[in-house]
Amino acid sequence: MSLERIYDAVLDFEEDDVAELVTAEIEAGIDPQEILQKGLVAALDTVGERFSEGTLFVPEMLMAADAMKAGLDLLRPILAETGAKPVGTVVIGTVKGDLHDIGKNLVCMVLEGAGFLVVDLGTDVHPEVFIDAARENEADIVALSALLTTSMSEMERAVGAICKAKENSNFDVKIMIGGPPITSEFAAKIGADAYGVDAPTAVKHARDFVRA
Amino acid sequence: MSWSHRDRLLAALAHEEADRVPMDLGGAEFTTVTIPAYEQLKEHLGMTHETKVFSKMHSVVHPDEAVLRRFDIDTRNVLPGPYQGGHGRVIDDNAYVDNFGVTWRRTVGTDDCHFLHVDGPFYEGKLTIDAIEAFAWPDPDNPGLVEGVAERVAQIKRDGDHAVCLYLPGGVIHRGYAMRGFEAYLMDIYKDREALCRLMDKLADYWVGVAENVIAAAGPENIDVIYFGEDLGTQAGPMFDPDEFYAPYIKPQHRRMVETAKAETHAKICFHCCGSAYRFIDHLIEIGVDALNPVQVTAKNMEPERLKAEFGERISFWGGINTQRILPFGTPREVAAETRRIIDILGKGGGYVLNSVHNIQPEVPPQNIVAMFDAGRAHRYETAA
Repeated sequence: MSLERIYDAVLDFEEDDVAELVTAEIEAGIDPQEILQKGLVAALDTVGERFSEGTLFVPEMLMAADAMKAGLDLLRPILAETGAKPVGTVVIGTVKGDLHDIGKNLVCMVLEGAGFLVVDLGTDVHPEVFIDAARENEADIVALSALLTTSMSEMERAVGAICKAKENSNFDVKIMIGGPPITSEFAAKIGADAYGVDAPTAVKHARDFVRA
Repeated sequence: MSWSHRDRLLAALAHEEADRVPMDLGGAEFTTVTIPAYEQLKEHLGMTHETKVFSKMHSVVHPDEAVLRRFDIDTRNVLPGPYQGGHGRVIDDNAYVDNFGVTWRRTVGTDDCHFLHVDGPFYEGKLTIDAIEAFAWPDPDNPGLVEGVAERVAQIKRDGDHAVCLYLPGGVIHRGYAMRGFEAYLMDIYKDREALCRLMDKLADYWVGVAENVIAAAGPENIDVIYFGEDLGTQAGPMFDPDEFYAPYIKPQHRRMVETAKAETHAKICFHCCGSAYRFIDHLIEIGVDALNPVQVTAKNMEPERLKAEFGERISFWGGINTQRILPFGTPREVAAETRRIIDILGKGGGYVLNSVHNIQPEVPPQNIVAMFDAGRAHRYETAA
């Protein structure tokens, strides 16, 4: 069946084929949610699994995300028309004082690939900016990244500020953090809800949060 | 017997135990101290000398001779002089362009003062061989590169019996990321592999040209260690496929670099690779690398016990003192205990040079730096006790 061909085309990094196959499915009247879930999302999940087990690496993750995006760009307007909501909304950024964004960008890609609406605030993001963006976009999740041990204190400050903002009514988000020096102990210590060791794990946590 | 600094280092790299493990600080751009941590260290040690910057990009220092002697450091660095002319220029306090036409920028208002590349000559569009060939590449014969090299070597020889470590910056991956952009470079592995290989050829040509000139200027017989490298790993695993991409495309470039470094010298090669280097170590051994730095013990598969057991007889380890957790957040007592633990594991039978995992970061308390080196200096090999 052609949804399998979409899945295969993503795994083969063939963005033109993905676009062509998705267009054909849309024209054939297949449910866009089904194309998304069984074709694109399933493929990126497989890439994520292989990444976590160490058989695929960063270039393959980037290529698969790129191929998937070719299909996602076609489906998004149709999904919006049908009033379909994203799986969830994630506000994400690298904390204040840190310009590193390689890992953060990978997380953005796989979250989008999993059907989340991702609001990427970039790097060097101040705590208030995370909070304002989360309110404005009615985010389910705020995700913070840091590469340096130096930035961990900024991360702690930002998570603290978000937790404080949550004490007010009408603001409820889950907080997840990641980056090379981060551990789950650190996440627990500073009040974050989860730590993602890699991009696919971040998606797992995000899914659990919106399911809960 | 009493060991000279140089003999102590060379013994370790020959997998023999001397009186204690050799220690490095400031031998290379990745084995030194960030400016904020160094300022605190100076104050702690009651020293007031002027701070000399080693690398603007990393915001790290040349540790002063007084600091190196306080810790009894066995290495002394030599590096190429500054490139004259070319693309390089300062934009403002927080941005500059390097001699590869790459723009670097840093944030302001925090302790993290190192620079990241934000634009480069091949950032836009498709990478093409025409664009690579048309670029005004820096010249490895630029006179600035050898300036001061012979004098520095003479000074090291005159002042003591330390090991001479020649640091040669650059390579084919990181400079490639800087010129092309990180994600674009990694996707070129699939999209424009031929052009990517040409880019790597150009970068390796430059590195080899500079290496030959600087080695000649230093006097090949004077050089004990040649230090270079680039990251192949991330915290969670290899950056790219060790066997399907590294081995056929990058490894030949690294082999050429190692061969250049060894051609006229007796130098041992210390290769720097952050993150999980585990799946690349056999490749590095095969091309003639003698020591691996920085031994990022908190990355995947990088436990010191595992590394020593699997590779300890064939490669030495240079680094290994935990920068992600213990040095910044531990107590001096914990730092000393961790230092002794790492020496007992990695130093057994030689094959270990003590240093932090990468540069000592801004938030590392000076007491912890002192604790690390004092413990390293005092601790004896278990077998010698």
